[in-house]
Amino acid sequence: MTTAESQPLIEVDNVSLAYTLNRDRAGTVKEFAFQLLKRQITAEKFLAVDDVSFRVNRGETVAMIGRNGAGKTTIMKVVARVLPPTDGRVVVRGVVAPMIALGAGFNNELNAIENIVLFGTLLGRDPDDMLDRAHDIGEWAELTDFMDVPIRSYSSGMMARLGFAVAADVDPDVMVVDEVLSVGDESFQRKSFEKMQSLMAGGTAVLLVSHVLDKVLEVADRVIWLQKGRIQMEGDPEEVVEAYRESFG
Amino acid sequence: MTAVADLPVYDSSQPRTPLVTELQNFWRYRRLIRLLVARDLTTRYKRSVLGVWWTLLNPLLTAAVMYLVFGVAIGGRFGETDEPYVVYLLAGVLFMVFFGQGMLSTASSIAGAKAILSKVYVPAEVFAFATAVAALANFGFSLFPLLLAQLLTGIGVPWTAVFVVVPVLAMLALVIGSGMMIAAAAVYFYDVLDLTRVFVQLLQYLTPVFYPLSFIPAEWLGLYKTNPLFSYLDNFRNVMYRGEFGPAWQWWYMVITAVLVLMIGVWAFSKSWRTLAMQL
Repeated sequence: MTTAESQPLIEVDNVSLAYTLNRDRAGTVKEFAFQLLKRQITAEKFLAVDDVSFRVNRGETVAMIGRNGAGKTTIMKVVARVLPPTDGRVVVRGVVAPMIALGAGFNNELNAIENIVLFGTLLGRDPDDMLDRAHDIGEWAELTDFMDVPIRSYSSGMMARLGFAVAADVDPDVMVVDEVLSVGDESFQRKSFEKMQSLMAGGTAVLLVSHVLDKVLEVADRVIWLQKGRIQMEGDPEEVVEAYRESFG
Repeated sequence: MTAVADLPVYDSSQPRTPLVTELQNFWRYRRLIRLLVARDLTTRYKRSVLGVWWTLLNPLLTAAVMYLVFGVAIGGRFGETDEPYVVYLLAGVLFMVFFGQGMLSTASSIAGAKAILSKVYVPAEVFAFATAVAALANFGFSLFPLLLAQLLTGIGVPWTAVFVVVPVLAMLALVIGSGMMIAAAAVYFYDVLDLTRVFVQLLQYLTPVFYPLSFIPAEWLGLYKTNPLFSYLDNFRNVMYRGEFGPAWQWWYMVITAVLVLMIGVWAFSKSWRTLAMQL
C-alpha cells in the first residue's frame, strides 16, 4: 500500500463548531435597531461540537451514537461541507453523497424525472447522464408508475426512497448517512442496506448516525459515542454500544 | 478504483479568495446554473393558466395600465415625449422590471434555497447567479413586444440597437451585485427584502420610466441625473430606438457603477459566507 492509498477519506482534526445563540435574536432590522439602542445585543456561543477528532478510511463504516443534541448531525454537516468548522480542520477526499434528510434537494413542482436530474446535478453529476439514468433510478426506487407525477403528491416514504436512490447512484467515495437505514418499508430497508454494503465493498467510506443500536452493531466497523459535543468513547462497536447502554443505568 | 491521491479534495482550512472563488464556482457549476435557469423559467408559472406567457404578459399589462392612466386618462404632458409614448413607456417599464424584479428575486434566492443549502453542499452564490440570469432571459423575451411596438409605430429598429447588449449586461451586473449584497443581509433579517422593495419603488419614481424628462425642472436636472439608473435607462432607449448613443459620460457612469456594485456585492457576500452558512 502506498502512502497515498493509506490516506483516510475523512479526516476530522480538533474540530469545534460554535453556534451563536442570540437569546432574543433580532429577526428584523427594526428589532435589531431597537436592541442596538437599548444595548441588548447578546451573542452567546454554544459549542455544538467540542474538539472532535477522528478518521474514516476507505471501505470503512463508522457510526456515531449519542443522545439528542450530542452534536452528531452537526458533525455530519461539517463533513458534508454544509457548515464550516469554527476551529480545527476537516479534509474529505472524493465525491460526497450526503444523505441528511432525504429529499431535501427536491422541488415539489417538478416530476420525479426532473427531480432526479436536478438533485444529481446538485451532487455534481452531468444533467444529461442523469437523464439517461433516470429510468433505472426510478425503477430501483420502485416508483416507475409515478415518474411523471409532481413530487408534491408523493408520500414522505416515496420521497425518501427516491432521494436515497439518486444519492446512491452517484457512486460516492464518501457517504454521510443520517438515520436513513430506516427508509421505507421492510423490503426497501433491506434493499437499501444491501446497496450500501455493495458500495462499502467497493471502497466507499461511510459515516452514519443512528439511534437504532442493533442496526449500528450490524453495519459499523467502529463506533463513536458523542456526549455534549465531545467524544466520550471510540472503538469496537460491541464495547462502545454496551458502555452507551449502561450509561442509561 | 481511483487512487485516493486523484480524488477531489475538500479542505476546510483552505482560505476563500473573494471574487476568485465565486468566479471559479460559477464555471465549475455552469451545468447546474443552466439547469436552475431553465427550471426557473418553466416552473414559475407552471401552475397558472397562461403558463410561461405570464413572463411576457406581466410587464405588458403593467405597461398597459400605465399607458391608460398616464397616457390616456391624465394625458397631456405625459405624452410630451419625443417618441410615441407607447414605445417610451414600454422600454422604460421592461428595463426597470428587469432591474427591480431581477434584484429582488436574486436577493431572495439564497433564503429560498435554504432547504437545499443546509443539507447538500452547493456554493450559495450559484443560486444568486442563476436567478439573475433567469431574470435576464425573461427580459430578453420581453424585448419582442418592444420591437413589435417600434415597428408598428413606424419608429423601426435602428442599427444602433445591436449595442443594447452593453446596457443590458451592465444592468445584469448591477442586478447580481446588489442582489447578492441584499441576499447576505436577508438571511439575518427577513424584513430587508421589504425595505428593498420600497427602495426599488422609490428609485423607479426617480427614473424617467413613465414621465418625460421635461417634467424635471432645469435646475434640478443635474442632481436628478446622479441617479445611476437614469444613465442605464437613457443609454438603453438611445440605442434601442433613437438610433443614437447620447452623451459619453452616461456610458462611463453606467459601466463604472455596474463594475463597482458587482465587485462590492460579490465581495460582501464572500466575506459573510461563514456566518451565512451558520444562519441558514
